[in-house]
Amino acid sequence: MIITKKRDFKDLLENLKNYKSFFLIGCSECATLCGTGGEPELTAMKEALEAEGKTVTGTLHPKTGCQTLGTKIELKKDKEACNAADAIIVLSCGAGTQSAVEIFPDKPARFQMFDERCSLCGECVLDKTGGICPVTACPKGLLNGPCGGTDNGKCEVSPDIECAWVRIYERMKKTDQLEDFRKVLEPKDWSASRKPARLNTREKKEEKK
Amino acid sequence: MSLKSALESGKFTVTAEVGPPKGTDIAKILHEAEALKGKVDALNVTDNQSAVMRISSMSFCKLLLDMGQEPILQMTCRDRNRIGLQSDLLGASILGIRNVLCMTGDHPNAGDHKEAKPVYDIESVQLLNIVRALNSGKDMMGNEMKGGTDYYQGAVVTPEAVPIEPQLMKFEKKVNAGAQFFQTQAIYDIEKFKGFMEFAGKFPVKILAGLVLLKSAGMANFMNKFVPGITVPQELIDELKEAGKEKALDAGIDIMARHIKQLKDEKICDGVHIMAIGAEDKVPLIMERAGLL
Repeated sequence: MIITKKRDFKDLLENLKNYKSFFLIGCSECATLCGTGGEPELTAMKEALEAEGKTVTGTLHPKTGCQTLGTKIELKKDKEACNAADAIIVLSCGAGTQSAVEIFPDKPARFQMFDERCSLCGECVLDKTGGICPVTACPKGLLNGPCGGTDNGKCEVSPDIECAWVRIYERMKKTDQLEDFRKVLEPKDWSASRKPARLNTREKKEEKK
Repeated sequence: MSLKSALESGKFTVTAEVGPPKGTDIAKILHEAEALKGKVDALNVTDNQSAVMRISSMSFCKLLLDMGQEPILQMTCRDRNRIGLQSDLLGASILGIRNVLCMTGDHPNAGDHKEAKPVYDIESVQLLNIVRALNSGKDMMGNEMKGGTDYYQGAVVTPEAVPIEPQLMKFEKKVNAGAQFFQTQAIYDIEKFKGFMEFAGKFPVKILAGLVLLKSAGMANFMNKFVPGITVPQELIDELKEAGKEKALDAGIDIMARHIKQLKDEKICDGVHIMAIGAEDKVPLIMERAGLL
């Protein structure tokens, strides 16, 4: 179970300012239970974006968003809607988001072993790092670019690890986001991942009433 | 003279480095440091280099100060969180240490305590920002402190990293975060380095070219294969081979002296950082051959 919280809508709009049209992806698993990526949240997000003058080309509520291959198959019927969107918004956890990152760049998704995609750090930076999580994908969790151990796209820790920051650089270059690469990411707020975490779904339901 | 005054005077500045040993017997490192006294402008003291546990950098920096030398405290983010880093920076300051080199640090995986929990709460760019804050009399959270630090802050860069673009963007972040001087990863191709300096020279920072002493053709091949960001050109490897086993070290000294001389004569950068890696006693000879002594 991965506990997610909604992002601040104003921050989200700031992130989206360069884009006009979107395709939305939720998730039927944890994000639905947490009230962040279920059908009602997808509808609410669609309406909120449209109220801001944006276009939503379609939505998908996949069975398991973090399961790249399955989500990819489910997305087949939405191919045109996806192509028409400037950007994809994922209403789920970091793993679901990074599945989408893998599905949507020009490279084909391939069968993979189980990769760790999200560290549940509690303070997601995916919007600032090209949709690839350096907290998880870089053994040092660096936030501001590759270290001196980067070697032709490989990591100093193991040649089996691709350098997260080279991947991020290449993706941000492709998606024309290098201006964001230049911005310094401040030290992380680790209090956001203080253990043990807990979620009371009853409180959520009461909030809605 | 302080490192800062040396670099700001426009003098071609030379730094070298010593690595504290594992264990409390410091006879050898003291001897190395003594041999460099009055020869180099400042001496880096490594911080558990290659993630191998050794004497702390700060302690040996203090001994260097007592010997009348100018130490550069290397500080990595591998072993301390933001509280530990700031506390050590304040501690080093009251010992009289004035130069700090901020770096991320090799992963524990490279060292002799592979099971260690890596910290990396902060990384190099953020650490530079933190030093700047401490210099202004505040901690990184903006809390007023009673007395600030007065560090000359340095950073590292790999001029031959592949791909180079993200490395240069990080270099720029480090400049903006307050880095005043840079010591580079080892370079062996001066023409390529000139290309890097065309970019780096635009910023108001001092650049010391990193040079690692080649001791044999085997060492050069090893670095090409295993050390990220270092490329020893084939003609230099051939030069070491031709010199033969006995004279390879001497050829390595010649190569470095030649590079230093070119960097200085053509005013390519502000100085050099010599990494002799176990042959610190050869540094004066290198400097002599380069015409610096």
